[in-house]
Parts: sequence; C-alpha cells; structure tokens
Amino acid sequence: MNVKNDFPFLAKNIDLVYLDSACTSIKPKQVIEAEKSYYEDYGACAGRSSHKFGAKTSEKIENCREIVAGFVGAKSENLIWTRNTTEGLNLVANCTDFQKRKTVVTTINEHHSVLLPLLKLRDTGKIKLKVLKAENGVVSLEQWSDAIDKETALVVTHNSNNTTSIKQNVKQIAEIVHDAGALICIDGAQGVPHYAVDFGQENFDFLCFSGHKMLGSTGIGALVAKTELLKSMPQFLVGGGTVKTVSLEKVVVASDQSKFEAGIQHYAGIFGFAAACEYLKKIGMKNIEAHEKTLSTALLSELKNANATVYGDLNNRGALYSFNLGNAAPHELALMLDKEGIAVRSGFFCAQPAMESLGAKNGCARVSAYVYNSLEDVKKFGNALKKLSELYC
Amino acid sequence: MVLCIIAFIVFGIMSIFSAKYRPLAKEGFRCVFRTLTMKPCDTGLDQKFKTEVVYSVMRYSPAIARFVNKQFAVISWIFVLLTIASFGYSAYGVYNFYVFGNCEGPNAVSTCILNDLTGDYGRFSSPTELISPTSLDGIKAGNSSSNLTIVEFGCFVCPYTKKAEPLVKELLNTTNVNYIFKPFPLPNHNNSFIAAQAVLCAVKQDKAWEMRERVFAHQETCSVDGTLAINDIAESSGMNMTLFKGCMNNNETVEELNKYIEQGKAAHIYATPTFFINGKPLVGPKSIDEFKGLIK
Ligand SMILES: Cc1ncc(COP(=O)(O)O)c(C=O)c1O
Repeated sequence: MNVKNDFPFLAKNIDLVYLDSACTSIKPKQVIEAEKSYYEDYGACAGRSSHKFGAKTSEKIENCREIVAGFVGAKSENLIWTRNTTEGLNLVANCTDFQKRKTVVTTINEHHSVLLPLLKLRDTGKIKLKVLKAENGVVSLEQWSDAIDKETALVVTHNSNNTTSIKQNVKQIAEIVHDAGALICIDGAQGVPHYAVDFGQENFDFLCFSGHKMLGSTGIGALVAKTELLKSMPQFLVGGGTVKTVSLEKVVVASDQSKFEAGIQHYAGIFGFAAACEYLKKIGMKNIEAHEKTLSTALLSELKNANATVYGDLNNRGALYSFNLGNAAPHELALMLDKEGIAVRSGFFCAQPAMESLGAKNGCARVSAYVYNSLEDVKKFGNALKKLSELYC
Repeated sequence: MVLCIIAFIVFGIMSIFSAKYRPLAKEGFRCVFRTLTMKPCDTGLDQKFKTEVVYSVMRYSPAIARFVNKQFAVISWIFVLLTIASFGYSAYGVYNFYVFGNCEGPNAVSTCILNDLTGDYGRFSSPTELISPTSLDGIKAGNSSSNLTIVEFGCFVCPYTKKAEPLVKELLNTTNVNYIFKPFPLPNHNNSFIAAQAVLCAVKQDKAWEMRERVFAHQETCSVDGTLAINDIAESSGMNMTLFKGCMNNNETVEELNKYIEQGKAAHIYATPTFFINGKPLVGPKSIDEFKGLIK
C-alpha cells in the first residue's frame, strides 16, 4: 500500500517518520480539499436558510451524514454530529436514564474520556460504577458475564484499546449486555479508523468516534445511537436547531437527531469527515487491516530486537505498541526519537489507570502506525531504537 | 530541579543572543520558580535539556553519551556548583573593580611575570616576599632630598611597565618625590636588555627621559626590531650617535645593567613593574589612589 503521496504533510516533511497516529492521523489532500470546498463553494448554514446556498449546504451535510453513518453500518437518522469521541461519551453518560437501573460497568483499560464522565456521575451519587480489572491488558468474557446483571444499566467500553491496541470481542460483550437488558456504548475512537465496524450487525446501542483519528478533520466526531434511544433520551446541549417551536411557556423539541445538535455545526469538518470515510472505503477496510497487521508484526520484531519492554498481551493487536527502553524516561525516549526524525507519543495517553494496571507506573512511549506508514518507516524506527538501546540498556 | 536551574541559566544567556532560546529560557524560569515554591517542575524542560545534551554527545561518541546519560545527575550538580562558583567569582571581581578599581583585587598581578627562568631569578611570586633595595642608585627624577622615595623596577618592553608610565608622571607632577628607576629587563621579553642599555646610555647624554618616553611609545617596534629600532629612536632623540653606539658596545654599560639586575634579584622581584614606596612594595600598574594610600 503506497498512499504517501496523498498526504501533503508527509510530502512537506520527507524525513519525518510519523508514528503517532493513535493521537491523531495525518490528513490526505482529499480531506483538505473537501474542507476547503465548504468555505469556497458552499459557505452557508445547513437546515436553516432557504436560499440556494443554504439548501445546497443542507443537502451536502445530509449526504455526509449518510456517508459517515454508512461507514460504520448505520443509517443517517442514527448519527449525531459531535465535536469528538469525548463529547459523544459525555452525552451518553449524561443522558442515559439511571432511574431503574443504576450500575454502569466499564474497565480499567479505558481512556479518560470514558472514565471521567462516569467517575463524575459516581461521585455525585447518580450511578454505581463497576470497573473491571485487566490481566496484562485483557478483560475476559467471563469477567464481563460475571459483572453484568439485572442492575446494569449501561456498559461503556472500547473496541480497540489506545494503550495496547488489543481488540475486544465487542459483539459478544454486546450479547451479554443485551441478555441482561442493559445498553452498550462503544468507544470506537481506536477501532473505527482501523477495521470495518458494523453498528447494526455488532448490535451496539451507542458508538462514538472521532474524525481526526481516521484521516478526517479535527473538531468533528459522531455518535451513532439506536433510533428508540435517540427518541427517548433527553437533550444534552440545547440551543439553535434543537427545537421545533419555542414560546416562553412551551418548548417543542425536534423529533429527529437534530435535538442533539445545538448551534451551527462544524460544516467544513463534516465535509472533511465524509471525505475521509470515502477515502478509507476506497482503499478498503480489509486492505487497511491487512496492511496494519504486517506493520504490527514488523513493529513488534523491531521492539524485541532493541530489547524494549512491550506492555500488554500480544494477541489481537493492531499496529500500536506501548513500550519502554532500559532506563530511559518515556519523554526522554520520545524526545530522542524525535531527534532521529521519528514522531511517537509518550506519557500516559490519557489512560493513567490503564497504564498503571499494565505496570507502566511512570508511563511509557507509544508507537502507532496507519495507512500511510510503510515497512521502511518501521525499519527506520527500529534502527533508531536499536541505537538508543545502546544508550539506555 | 538541578537541570531546571542550569537550563534556565544556559538558555537565559543564549536567549540574549538568539530569540530562538527565549521560550526555553521562559520555560526555565517557570521551572525554577515552581521548584522554589516547592511545586514539581511541570514543563518537561529538564528532560528536553537532558536529551539535547545526550543527543549531541551521542553524535560524537555513543560510549560517552551512555556515560553522560547514566551520570547526568552528578554531572549536572558539578555544573551547578561550577556555575555558582563562577558567578561568585564574577561578583567578587565586580566588587574588587568597584572598591579597588581593579577586578583582580588589591594585590592583583597585572604585570610582566618572570617565567621560564632558572636559578634565583623568578623564585618568588608574592608581594610579601619582596625586600626593598638598600642602594638608591638608578635613573633619577624628582626631588632627591624629599622624604618620599619611590623606587621602580621596570622593563622597557613590558606592556605593564608602560601602562604604569602615566602614573609615574602624575606622581612626579603632583607630589614631592624622590623617584628612582632601576632597569630590570625580563629575559622572556625580546630585546629587553638592549632597550635597558639604550636608556642607560641616554642618561650619559642627558636624554634619559626623552629616550625612555620614545622607547615606551614604540615598545612593539623595539621588541621586534631590536638594535635597528633603538638606533632610530636614539637618533630622533637628538643623541650623538657615535657616543651612543660606543656606549651600547661598552662593557661598562653591561656591567651597570647587571648591577641593577642583581639588585632586582636581591629584592626578590618576580614581576614588573614593582614599586617600593618608602620601602613598601606595590606590584603592577595600580591606581593613583593606591599609591596615595601607601604614601600616607
Ligand atoms: C480509546 C480512546 N477513546 C477516546 C479518545 C478521545 O478522543 P477525542 O480526543 O477525539 O475525543 C481517544 C483519543 O485518544 C481514544 O484513544
């Protein structure tokens, strides 16, 4: 797979080996052009103004909704635009009904964007929170079965993990959840960009993901939810566009998903998001998955070759590894690799409890590859790491 | 924490010269400030600084880089102490400059030092070892019956002896002094002997001060060109050149000069210029105030 030429940022930084895609991805020119086209060719409000550019923008936004929803096997009426995964997760946590059932189940492996909204609800007494422990980064299906019961209102977990890239069998977890009559919300920030995710077929209740991690624009994300939930859930943010009629005595809320889309949306970002989905679809998610499998194997062998400590179980992985090298502090390691022209992230990756449970008490460095990375990139990373291993080991 | 302090100092100094380092200096300041207020340094500057250093060393020698990386804490402490010491030393210099008009302190040796010498010559190195000469012969000026006697041992090609000249003149002009100059040519200065001989020969033609002034004025040329330059100077001082050349080649002149050198050795002279103010020694071209201090 050689798509590097589609990425102006990579063309401008020929010597850069970008291996920080789990944080955010580089954008192809198709996405940049799409975003630009909003400003140059559309320019208006969607769902409000009846002039021709207003109509043209509305139509395009709905078209984008269909594309992005379709990308995860959902219908356009199920998709709400959000700023990012974090906003979607906050919406679900804050708008789910915890009157009858109070328990929410999640895992120690989650991103802060999952944990913090739930911890806040727990600390204000609105929910009971069960946090499943992990063994080497893995939570077993038995643990899920044992934890989920008739008290469970909601399960929030990821399909792919941002500290280990370990995939969870979310389809089976969803079955367990539904058998108990509970709801499941999937944090798809790290899954959706890397392999085909099917909202309908995997039977999720909610799915959150971000444009920027899947070649799309920053500041735009999506929450996909089952129709009945969208109907029954109360509003989150309110304002322009979320209502049918307003008088000081009575507010009639919009009947479709626009009740969750308060204010003018990030239209340019939506254009870019849809362009990213089309770009990925054109390459084919199966091809991307296969490409990443190759990169993953190569990355692991380079890490082993340099005697790096890799965290978490090595099965069911994507092209992402958290690691430490000898006595190097994680930030030092990342800064050293940066000197060698290699961009990786270091620290706790917004998942401090997860990192601690993996045994990386002081954090670590994280390498993550994507469509535009090649085996040559991995080799360069390996060579730099080998050089540093002589310094630190 | 140590790293923050060094980084702050280093980047602070570098940022004076290049704007590139200003954000880093700012970060350093924040870091030092946080450290002083007992909060952890949160800018990651210490790590940035460490990687900058280790990476630059690694390009030259991975083995040394490895050592630097391992011993970074120790090395940084050494640097901090050295930095503090050098700051202290500079502050001391500033203080000395303010108080004594010389950043090296009251007894600073800004002089032409005797070195690469054998024997008695150059065995001494401190003003406390100096012994005032008993004989008062030499090239004289001022009032020989004054009760203030200043003896100077000087070398005509020593820049510091030259530097003290305005002072000598001021003393002669403003005080009633019995001034005696004893030539003390330093062997490590080129043509110092010839220059001293030339002034001694000028005494014989009553042209001592003219010759002395011109030799100092053309010190470098004298040092480089030797006899050629000296003859030119003698001629332009209006000396009788036959007598002058005869004097220069005369053994008596050499003996006279040797006498002064012996006196210098006996006085434990180790550097020029050295003054004895009524017997009290002063080494180097000092300020007029210091002279006046000793005169009192
Ligand atoms: C697993 C996971 N969940 C949630 C998020 C939050 O994504 P965003 O910052 O786009 O809201 C991230 C981003 O790092 C993530 O990796």
